[in-house]
Amino acid sequence: MNEQRIHQYIRQFFEENECRVVDAGGQLTVQLTAAMDKRLMNRPYYWSYIESIGAEPRPAELTMITDPKLFSGDMPGERIHFGSPRLHQLFDVTKEQGAYVQLYEKPAAGQTAQVTLTPWLGMNCKVTYASDRTKESLYSLGMNLMNGAVIDGFQPTVRELDLTAAIPANTYYLPYIIHPNNAVGRLEDLLDRVIREDDHAWMGEAAQRRVRDLRVLDYFYADDEEVPESYESERQAIEEQYAVSVSVEVINGGLFYLHSGLVKNRSGG
Amino acid sequence: MEIEIRRSSEWKEGFAERLEQRRPWDNWTLYQLCYEAEQAKLIPEFHGLQCPRHLPNLTAYPHQLEAAETVIERMNGKAILADEVGLGKTIEAGLILKEYLIRGVVKKALILAPASLTNQWLAELNTKFHIPAMAYNKKYNLDHCPIVVTSIDMAKRSPHREAISAQEYDLVIIDEAHKLKNPKTKNYEFVQQMKKKFCLLLTATPIQNDVFELFNLISLLKPGHLGNLETFQRVFSASKHHVEEDEFLRELIQQVMVRNSRDDTGITWTNRHVRILPAVFSADEREVYNHVSNLPVGDSFTRLTLQRELCSSPLAAVMTLEKIAKETGDPDIRHEMEQLLLKLTQSGIHAKAKMTAELIRKAGDKVIVFTEYRATQVYLQAYFHQQGITSVLFNGKFNKNKREWMKQLFQQKAQVLIATESGSEGLNLQFCHHVVNYDLPWNPMKLEQRIGRVHRLGQTEDVHIYNLAVQETVEDQMVELLEKKLGVFEQVVGELDDILTDSKRSIS
Repeated sequence: MNEQRIHQYIRQFFEENECRVVDAGGQLTVQLTAAMDKRLMNRPYYWSYIESIGAEPRPAELTMITDPKLFSGDMPGERIHFGSPRLHQLFDVTKEQGAYVQLYEKPAAGQTAQVTLTPWLGMNCKVTYASDRTKESLYSLGMNLMNGAVIDGFQPTVRELDLTAAIPANTYYLPYIIHPNNAVGRLEDLLDRVIREDDHAWMGEAAQRRVRDLRVLDYFYADDEEVPESYESERQAIEEQYAVSVSVEVINGGLFYLHSGLVKNRSGG
Repeated sequence: MEIEIRRSSEWKEGFAERLEQRRPWDNWTLYQLCYEAEQAKLIPEFHGLQCPRHLPNLTAYPHQLEAAETVIERMNGKAILADEVGLGKTIEAGLILKEYLIRGVVKKALILAPASLTNQWLAELNTKFHIPAMAYNKKYNLDHCPIVVTSIDMAKRSPHREAISAQEYDLVIIDEAHKLKNPKTKNYEFVQQMKKKFCLLLTATPIQNDVFELFNLISLLKPGHLGNLETFQRVFSASKHHVEEDEFLRELIQQVMVRNSRDDTGITWTNRHVRILPAVFSADEREVYNHVSNLPVGDSFTRLTLQRELCSSPLAAVMTLEKIAKETGDPDIRHEMEQLLLKLTQSGIHAKAKMTAELIRKAGDKVIVFTEYRATQVYLQAYFHQQGITSVLFNGKFNKNKREWMKQLFQQKAQVLIATESGSEGLNLQFCHHVVNYDLPWNPMKLEQRIGRVHRLGQTEDVHIYNLAVQETVEDQMVELLEKKLGVFEQVVGELDDILTDSKRSIS
């Protein structure tokens, strides 16, 4: 994410959350709503006080500087870069607020005949391989809820479509045959197979590094008659560092009623 | 291989609730933003850093990226960054900090640097890494300053100490960490008691005098990593005799230390020509020196100080002699001192001063002269002036502005910079190619630091180093001792670029 993209992200985020945003290019000033203030500003005492006495709340105004050229000056405002806690916080809130959708594809302009929409389940998942090193993969899977066909790269495909939350006029959507809850389970199973068939040499490599570190540690304490506490804590630290794990996390997902035919592709995330 | 896959059912439950229309659906824009954020945060490979793609304006050298990777992937964020001087340890630390910020594992970081370098840190973090670091100020509420830069001397004092200790820093970076070699100091104790999930110690010279300094540094990072002091002592002394022990020791140290030498960087470095130039005392100088060496007064330390001062300049010795004359109750000794002082004033131009002027003329170029004594600085400046050589002074007593001004004068006007070590840390003088170590320090790493002012990234020409030592004086012994210390450094830490003389390799 470059600085322009970060700037747009923040602007979109707050606009979608009904906050008034003043964009001065490189600097954004946001008048928070009460809900956003509670979510972002970490001041529960203020809010419980205001609410207990029934006073008029004054949600905070937040100024953010997104242009690095303005960082070193004394312009007031939070300096935002990819990696700043505020941006991470916004990412976290977005994750809560953008987890589930139900959308309908609009008919093409000028379309007069009624359009039939086919139900799909879209699901974006992150797979994490972790030891002392980490590797993450995003899978954006889609399942046709009429025939069970699965496509990869679902999100990049549907992003290009004209989607709306309300059922558009002049459309008719097919009721799903595969229940979405079952579809979720089927996609999870499919992902499990993908993971199991993957190359897991990394686990063996982590184990080798673990053995090597332990060997060196043991050598250092070999002659001690009584093993000191520091040995145990070092050993514990090594075990934790090299412990391997595989996890799957659903980022977000939803129901998509589409008339566009989706083509199987392997473009991935 | 049976693989256990962890998953949480949280999302599924929320989805079922929406299907049953018990809760509302979310907004499509936020859904897309969420996916975009996940894509941006993704760590797609076991190896490699994520931060470079977020830093389009930073061009890091491969050895810097590799060092940052090693610290994150192999060392779990606890490391000594010990690259040779001038290879960009600050960049490595900046990369690590940025990477951790991006991965969200570090939210708060504290950078402790010598006061003279804090501004440089702030500027680099802000402009090169887009990390909004702030200078510590007791008026600020530290809760709202995620990235703070300050000096350790400030940080350890009340009330700053309390304010800083009350914070939980995920990452602590300590620049010029060799200053923490002594565990009995306040500085060491301060760093030791700090909570630090990740910690970087930056020093080109993890061993200055003896190997226990390294032990102390490592103990700050990982108490117990090298056993206790006794175990370490035993293994270290055994390693002098057994290759196997030596390997273990190195392995253990490599688990916490990254060190690139110039040769490792893959960058073509200009050459370093290092020579010891023996100077010869005049008959008068020799007489004074011998006299001092046989002085019946003073402790051996005073005698050694006088010997070293005489090897530097008459002016350096004058103060000490005068002090002895003033403090002694013995009229004979006072008389002797006065005689010595008289002889000193008649001894003519110091052998090393003449030699240095000759070197400067031959170089016909900018030269830095390092001395241990401020009196010698003055002496040399007066003598150079007489010889028609322009020079400026530089020492630790100068404030930031004056240092910057002197550096500019040197670059634009004067031929020679006469400097003491203090205050020269972090000074970048790539436009200069000649370094005269007029006096030798006890500590070989000080020599390395001095040379590093000139021989660093950005140097385009060969660099000439002249180490001056007066024959048949204490300086001979110093050369010998320096060689011994360099031996220990290379055994434990790794090879070192030439400091004292051109390496044995090229001779054999």
